[in-house]
Amino acid sequence: MPAALTPEIVPGLVAGGASTKIAEDIAPKFKHGDKVRARNINPTTHTRLPRYVRGKVGTVVHDHGVFVFNDSNAHGKGTHPQHVYNVRFTAQELWGPDAPSRDTLHIDMFESYIEPA
Amino acid sequence: MNGVHDLGGTHGHGPINPEPDEPVFHADWEKRVFGMFFATFAAGMLNVDEFRYAIERMPQQDYLRTSYYEHWLHVFETLLAEKGIVTHEELRARCDQLAKEAA
Amino acid sequence: MADTGHGADAALRIKALESLLVEKQLIDPKALDAVVELYEHKIGPRNGAKVVARAWVDPDYRKRLLADGTAAIAELGFSGVQGEDMIVVENTPEVHNMVVCTLCSCYPWPTLGLPPVWYKAAPYRARSVIDPRGVLAEFGVEVPETVEVRVWDSNAELRYLVLPMRPAGTEGMTEEQLAALVTRDSMIGTGVPMAA
Repeated sequence: MPAALTPEIVPGLVAGGASTKIAEDIAPKFKHGDKVRARNINPTTHTRLPRYVRGKVGTVVHDHGVFVFNDSNAHGKGTHPQHVYNVRFTAQELWGPDAPSRDTLHIDMFESYIEPA
Repeated sequence: MNGVHDLGGTHGHGPINPEPDEPVFHADWEKRVFGMFFATFAAGMLNVDEFRYAIERMPQQDYLRTSYYEHWLHVFETLLAEKGIVTHEELRARCDQLAKEAA
Repeated sequence: MADTGHGADAALRIKALESLLVEKQLIDPKALDAVVELYEHKIGPRNGAKVVARAWVDPDYRKRLLADGTAAIAELGFSGVQGEDMIVVENTPEVHNMVVCTLCSCYPWPTLGLPPVWYKAAPYRARSVIDPRGVLAEFGVEVPETVEVRVWDSNAELRYLVLPMRPAGTEGMTEEQLAALVTRDSMIGTGVPMAA
């Protein structure tokens, strides 16, 4: 069996990439302006939900569309396509009243990571 | 998983210390490790999520004291063994052989 | 093997792994050479600088860039691995953006190349979210309290590029001259462009 990656196909692979965005028509559960809470989950498996946002309340600012779900794809458990939203948290929500009052943090949340707040 | 890789907001890591005029790679072995990602990905040996999870599963005390490309090297050794493509025994034997040849 | 943590062994270990995969005819070492050549010499922050300079001189391009980063960046020929789905965020007199990946080292390769060691290391990843102003100060960037510091944790598969503000006094400069002012760090948000 020849090697899958040959020098000839390297430039095409590098420039093409492998987007995990999926052109699937799935109705979004959340929209711009919705208040959401990041779920407090603690899986022993792979997740892209960092501890510092779990349980915190933020605001949906953008719907990026539908993507492969990393948490299942890491374990051969399918792509579980779902919407990914950009969610804005205030620094004070994340770090308490001593954080600068204007500062914010934006993070991308798979739909499974959030619930209405 | 609640691993040491989940660094956001943790304390005690010291200053950032950017390196002036940093090269893309710091050693030739880093280049081979980097290239290996594309070769194994293109061959269907791993996906990016398995790759990241393999880094997260590193012994936690090793994660912070090893470099980025050592993390990657650990991924290949781990996943290729788990998938039965290159066993730990094969690797150990080949390392011994290469070390002898170099001596 | 599980003997990670021994940096001195790394060169030997990757050589062993590569030689075994070559023998099994699963990889072609020349393909690895080709990958390294691209990222060492062709793909780097000069790409991103061209995007920024174009946005500074062409208001329509700037609009397209902020609306659909991936497509606008591809107009200049930059696309691919770790930049498949791009979001460009604009610094203004009211907002200073900076980008981090707290969980690993996600970074927009087609426009910035491979990340520097500090971007991948624990101090930046840990501190950027809880103390961005302290991090910025270490990079010599002082952001007034009246300006919002907006941190982007690129934890999913979107990749972020900061569009810094055009420096004052550059009205007469060409696009190429402007691109020379755009530093890598100004597109991560840990720096600002060079003065004219």
